[in-house]
Amino acid sequence: MKLRMLTSAMALAATLVSPVQAAEKRDGEFWMVIGGRQAVSHIDPGQSYDYSIRMMTQALYDGLVKYSGNPPEVEPWLATDWTTSEDGLTWTFNLAESATFHNGDPVTAEAVVYSYQRVLEMNEGVAWMLSDILKPENIKATGEHTVEFTLDRPYAPFLSFLPWWFVVNPAQVEPNVVDGDFGKAWLSENDAGSGPYELERFDQGTAYWLRRDDDYWKGFPYEAEDMGGIIYRLIQESSSQRAALMSGEADLVTDLTPEEFEVVGARPDIEVSSTPALTTFGLKMNTQGEYMSDVNLRKAVAHAFDYETFVQVYNGNAKLQTSPFADAIRGKVEIDMPRKDIEKAKEYLGKTEWPEGGITLEYVYVQGLEQQRQMGLSLLNSLKELNIELEMVPLTWPNMVARASSIEESPDLLAIFATPVSTDPDAVAIQYHPSSHGKYYGSHFLEDEELKAMIEEARRISDWEERAPIYAKIQQRIADLQPEIFGMLRQRQFAYRTYVQGYVDSPIRMTGEVDLYPLYIQP
Amino acid sequence: MRRLILKRLGLMVVMLLGLAVITFTIANVAPGDPARLAAGPDASQEMVEQVRAERGFDKPVPVRFMIYLGQLARGDLGTSVYTGREVSRDIAQFLPATVELVLFAITIAIVFGIPLGVLAAVWQNKATDHGIRLLAVSGAALPMFWLGLMLQWYLALELDLFPLGGRLGVFDDVPPKITGMITVDALLNGDPGTALTAMWHMVLPALALSLPALAAIIRVNRAEMLEVLGRDYVTNARAQGIGPFRIIAVYSLKNAILPTLAMIGLRFGWMLGGTVLVEGVFDFPGVGLYAAKAAVSSDFEPIMAVTLILGAAFMFTNLLIDLAYALLDPRVRNQV
Repeated sequence: MKLRMLTSAMALAATLVSPVQAAEKRDGEFWMVIGGRQAVSHIDPGQSYDYSIRMMTQALYDGLVKYSGNPPEVEPWLATDWTTSEDGLTWTFNLAESATFHNGDPVTAEAVVYSYQRVLEMNEGVAWMLSDILKPENIKATGEHTVEFTLDRPYAPFLSFLPWWFVVNPAQVEPNVVDGDFGKAWLSENDAGSGPYELERFDQGTAYWLRRDDDYWKGFPYEAEDMGGIIYRLIQESSSQRAALMSGEADLVTDLTPEEFEVVGARPDIEVSSTPALTTFGLKMNTQGEYMSDVNLRKAVAHAFDYETFVQVYNGNAKLQTSPFADAIRGKVEIDMPRKDIEKAKEYLGKTEWPEGGITLEYVYVQGLEQQRQMGLSLLNSLKELNIELEMVPLTWPNMVARASSIEESPDLLAIFATPVSTDPDAVAIQYHPSSHGKYYGSHFLEDEELKAMIEEARRISDWEERAPIYAKIQQRIADLQPEIFGMLRQRQFAYRTYVQGYVDSPIRMTGEVDLYPLYIQP
Repeated sequence: MRRLILKRLGLMVVMLLGLAVITFTIANVAPGDPARLAAGPDASQEMVEQVRAERGFDKPVPVRFMIYLGQLARGDLGTSVYTGREVSRDIAQFLPATVELVLFAITIAIVFGIPLGVLAAVWQNKATDHGIRLLAVSGAALPMFWLGLMLQWYLALELDLFPLGGRLGVFDDVPPKITGMITVDALLNGDPGTALTAMWHMVLPALALSLPALAAIIRVNRAEMLEVLGRDYVTNARAQGIGPFRIIAVYSLKNAILPTLAMIGLRFGWMLGGTVLVEGVFDFPGVGLYAAKAAVSSDFEPIMAVTLILGAAFMFTNLLIDLAYALLDPRVRNQV
């Protein structure tokens, strides 16, 4: 804490002395340097994904559709339009005929079929989104630029997942398949896409260079022809990111801590963007655990918690949840959520086996995340009024994920940021369905037949007018069951030099993820 | 001499095997599910099980250990769960950067540590001695990462004398790879400008990394010099009218240097480990940063590989120091 205060103070001091730098050109072109904290372990759109991988793959590849704007909307991309059959099973997409891969090959329906089948057969990365409802053999090219998907059963959120399925060029991948590896090794560090950027250099663990494709089939939303490319440079410490931004070594940085964000935000040569994310932060309770299986204890803890602390920890750059669904999720309704009320908390506690408290709950959070530690301390303080002890256990992320994977190991309270990959309400509702048991965001192991039936029914209906009321009920039911302390929506925070133009926010993107397509430099 | 080398190499193999057992055991009793990590947080249980089977995580620990040993014997260090790349390939990429940084840092420690130790001994209990001892105590007490942050803030950000991090500027071209050490490769390619730039990038991390070693070298060298300077043959040399510089440089330092040499060997190993702290601060893409990332990701094969390689480097350095001892001191040579 002292060290952090010291570094922040030093940063503030540096603010006063650092010279303002302008963008630099290389060979007559601007190259934008993005400082990010997470390495890009590979650029294969079919393997795993995280924010840095998704940022790169979105720049190198195109999907049939793309998310953009705030609130996020699915807009046509490789697909110019699409139709759905009456029964909701068959989806037909028409492709843009002008689309070409970086090597000049046309983007055809066969390439789309190949790309989707590849991911489904690999059964990695984004496969989980569609593997339950789409068999590889049911994707067909019905024309050179027409592709048809036949689902096993109606699935309303289908389209909302497609922005994360990218199209690769089979003519480039196939010759590089080794021992039936689907070309994974080659695609990890090579690009076979049609996106606005091409891979120029891949220095693992250092920097990743993307050259702008001047002839991108879809063009660019700006006219700055001297935009050369983007370098995603790995800067792992938040304090180093801040320093790099202030010294001009980086033009845009992602995922700063709230303290660093405050410091850079005070400078005239730096712009900041702070907007609500889809990401919710909550304390998930193990509803099948020794203590938290009692809904009254869950409600007692939820009413004891000091919600205002959440917002303070993020210096106001956060907003309390008013539903189990984030604001940008379709169909979100306002629900009367618990707020700090010790009398009510004691009332609920009185209905449990432990009316006088005297128990110890375990709170697990990510090691090194100061905000989560502070929230734990706040909870610890609140629970004292109920005579409940809180044991705070910091764990690395993989260890937390492992703890969350079984009912026996899942802690009483688990601090989790969860980012849905789609704006469809099913992406959030499914977290409270038994199919999420074992996943980090399903660590509450909630079992409720009524809720389960509603979730399953809603995802089968295609008509939104019919779905919406069900999701209103789902939100109320989740809130009534209180499987977590519904916390806050953390803001997405980015800082960039004032000469960086075109930044567009979209809450569907992950905490540190930026859409590189519209960005350019204009000093 | 040959006997010494063979004996020590044999011992190294046994010790490395012990190290492999320990790291493998720790990695396998530690919590965390590597299959879940590899499959991704959203992956279904079926996908996790598929990865578990593919990577052999479903086999009993003794079987996995035997497989691991077999891999090691073939020079295969496994595959990183996080990057999906072969660990040997990652190490080949990251290790030269670390070696280059450590060599640079140890050079700083030796070049400044030995003369300062001598000066402190010669001017014992004078202001110079006190000043040098203060530096030695500070060097031993200050955490490397904190020192790194301070250097970065003051010399890089405030005075703008050095870059904030990395091995080269983002727009600098990396010389064609020969050794993987940029300064060496640049010189071999006749590009002294890039070599200088790379060296400039190494100054701050190397300073942070070298201070504990510098402190240790000063302390040991000062103590040894004090002892040697008090010996009869030095008094005798003085009585014969031999000049003070010759007494210190030729008669005393040669005898005082042996324990310092041993200290340098030990410190080299410590420094390799210390890069885990320093490389993160300066975003220096070396094996320390790689290991730190692997550790927080529960990515066990890179951690085990880095531990083994650093252990081997530590042992090998000690072997070299022992050989140097034998070469410099006939008594040691004769014992062997």
